[in-house]
Amino acid sequence: MGLIDQAVESIETEVNNLKLNAKDAFDQLGAEFSGAIYDSILTTKLGKIVGWAQKNALWPATFGLACCAIEMMAMANSRWDAARFGAEVFRASPRQADLMIVSGRVSQKMAPVLKRIYNQMADPKWVIAMGACSSCGGIFNNYAIVQGVDRVVPVDVYVPGCPPGPEALIYGIIKLQEKILNEAGTDKARQRVA
Amino acid sequence: MSVTEQGLLERDKDTMTLNMGPQHPSTHGVFRMILEMDGEIVRSSEPDIGFLHTGIEKTAEVKRYVHCIPMTDRLDYLSPPQNNLAFCLTVEKLLGLDEMPARADYLRVIMCELGRIGSHLVWLGTHALDIGAMTVFLYAWRERELVLDLNEMISGVRMMTSYIRIGGVAQDATPQWIQGVREFVDIFPAKIDEYESLLTNNPIWMDRTRGIGTLAREDAINWSMSGPILRASGVKLDWRKQRPYSRYDDFTFDIPTQEHGDIYDRYLVRIEEMRQSREIIKQAINQLPDGPYKIQDNKVSLPERDTLHTSMEALIHHFKLVSDGVKVPPGETYVPTEGPRGEVGFYIVSDGSNTPYRMKLRAPSFMAIPGMCHLMTDSFIADVVAIIGSVDIVMGEVDR
Amino acid sequence: MTSEEIVAKCQSSLGGDLVQAEVNLGDAVIYVSPEALPKAAEWLKNDPDLRFDYLSQITGVDYLEQDREPRFEAVYELHSIDHGHSIRIRVGLDEENPTVPTVTTLWKGADFPERELFDMFGFQVTGHPNLKRLLMPEDWEGHPLLKDYPLTIEEISFSHNPDHKSELIKTKSNQE
Repeated sequence: MGLIDQAVESIETEVNNLKLNAKDAFDQLGAEFSGAIYDSILTTKLGKIVGWAQKNALWPATFGLACCAIEMMAMANSRWDAARFGAEVFRASPRQADLMIVSGRVSQKMAPVLKRIYNQMADPKWVIAMGACSSCGGIFNNYAIVQGVDRVVPVDVYVPGCPPGPEALIYGIIKLQEKILNEAGTDKARQRVA
Repeated sequence: MSVTEQGLLERDKDTMTLNMGPQHPSTHGVFRMILEMDGEIVRSSEPDIGFLHTGIEKTAEVKRYVHCIPMTDRLDYLSPPQNNLAFCLTVEKLLGLDEMPARADYLRVIMCELGRIGSHLVWLGTHALDIGAMTVFLYAWRERELVLDLNEMISGVRMMTSYIRIGGVAQDATPQWIQGVREFVDIFPAKIDEYESLLTNNPIWMDRTRGIGTLAREDAINWSMSGPILRASGVKLDWRKQRPYSRYDDFTFDIPTQEHGDIYDRYLVRIEEMRQSREIIKQAINQLPDGPYKIQDNKVSLPERDTLHTSMEALIHHFKLVSDGVKVPPGETYVPTEGPRGEVGFYIVSDGSNTPYRMKLRAPSFMAIPGMCHLMTDSFIADVVAIIGSVDIVMGEVDR
Repeated sequence: MTSEEIVAKCQSSLGGDLVQAEVNLGDAVIYVSPEALPKAAEWLKNDPDLRFDYLSQITGVDYLEQDREPRFEAVYELHSIDHGHSIRIRVGLDEENPTVPTVTTLWKGADFPERELFDMFGFQVTGHPNLKRLLMPEDWEGHPLLKDYPLTIEEISFSHNPDHKSELIKTKSNQE
């Protein structure tokens, strides 16, 4: 009886694999079919242009939590001018922002709020984890701090420091701009909007 | 009851519940208020804090004393030297060290007053920005960069200097830093005049801040307000003069007070405090004494590095201090100091080991929040923002 | 008044309510029982020589590791604006059902610190108008600053020392 069960099982798994593969293939086909025009050289270039526009006008949401927020404000001020990189307008409403700079330690009570604000942001959106506390919990490894904000939201760029100087944060924004431009016109950029 | 149940009950009342959430540009940090509004007027406000709770007090129970100092930096993160100083004064009191070398004290005073100026500049910039004066924001933070440059020159870090250590300070002041402080002291009064020319006699500023958020003298004392809020209400209490620490009685400076206790008075008090801080720094840097920058007791402070090559005792003390840390005799004490927001102090219970048994921060913003929410009753919603700015809370020390 | 004079005056006036009074490192410290706290606090606030009208802070301490009775303590720090002196009141609380009466009727600034006593230690403050959790989320279980509450509830993610990590896990599971 055992042998027959094993045989039945193996046939079932084979059938399932075939089904999954077929589903995959259909999806691919569908994607390719709908993206057939998109994937032409013209629209890859168009994607790059869109990416260029996005990266040069990143509007950060005011999500200053703790000490890193002070350095973020210093970045927006006259000495380290974030405006020259396009990130001048700090929008208070998450609906109008496309970059969330999580600056500061995220406590257990704040994590649901962070997630909700992230959800309220319109696609495409990016997240910079500024500072040690949002990257990995920082110097606070205890009951109260979420050990890294990437447990709550997906993070694109991590900026280390405690707090990172404004020049470090600007470097992080530049790296994010490079990432946006690299991803532009590809599937990854499409996934952000999908 | 939960906020939802409260909301269901409110359909019978005339008031609307407005959530001024933790993410808000004007709440100066992650501070949540649940306002009950009757049209534009706030009938009551309930504060909800804890969004930045970091468990520093519990973490400090497993850290050695010198490791607690960087954690105290991150409590009131706008003036880190003040927290360091309050912590070190308390530990030194427990250790029985009455006097620090004069140079150490003067350097501590200069760092604390620079921290006070930096914190007041942040207050001025953000408070003015909330009320609508955006230029002051840019100007104030431009000067703050000079303060942070001085911090970086002496300790290597812009904000969280951890410069003030148990037994003195971390390293000596260089001639370049002294020159930098002198230059800062020279240019700063003109900058304060610049901010005052924009705000003090500005009719819009006066309309938005005069007569609003008035706190009477008795109320200010009863609600445990401290610092500029208390002084703006007419109470002449400044711990630098009341119980001088770190040789503050070597310097001559005034304590500005006002009578009405409204937002405008708090603004005037803090502006004048910036001037007085600059006075103190000027006197301290001109009279900066020579000598050691930390006490020579090697059981508390590290020996000089060059003595490690020749002296066996120095090597052993260095090893014990770095691996074990300072051992503080059992006891408990509290030392009040004057921070930019009010009375800052640490209540430390020690059990004889090299970690504090209990470390508690007396945070002026924490004690000020119920009084602040009391001030908001029967005021317009636009004034709520002005009141929060004038009380100058920082959530790092509220939530710890 | 110096700390010695304050302590002497408290001893003569409060008498039986006082468990102990001393001058510790230059500070006046008195020990009272929780039942005697409202009366002692009111006397301290209203007596014309003392006039402790300013409440600086209220702290809680858990003396579990020091193995002494009572296990808990609530510490009140008072200042006098007019006279410029200070006093510390230490109220010893029992291990089961630590309760302390409120002082919000005397000093309105006691509102938040007493809520923090409840949140962080679990002390019941009788008479407090709004005794809810303050710093932790409303549905948090446990009182974090107690000595038997663990500091961190998850293992350390990054350690270059594999033996250290396995030892840490062992000691943590032994503690629980």
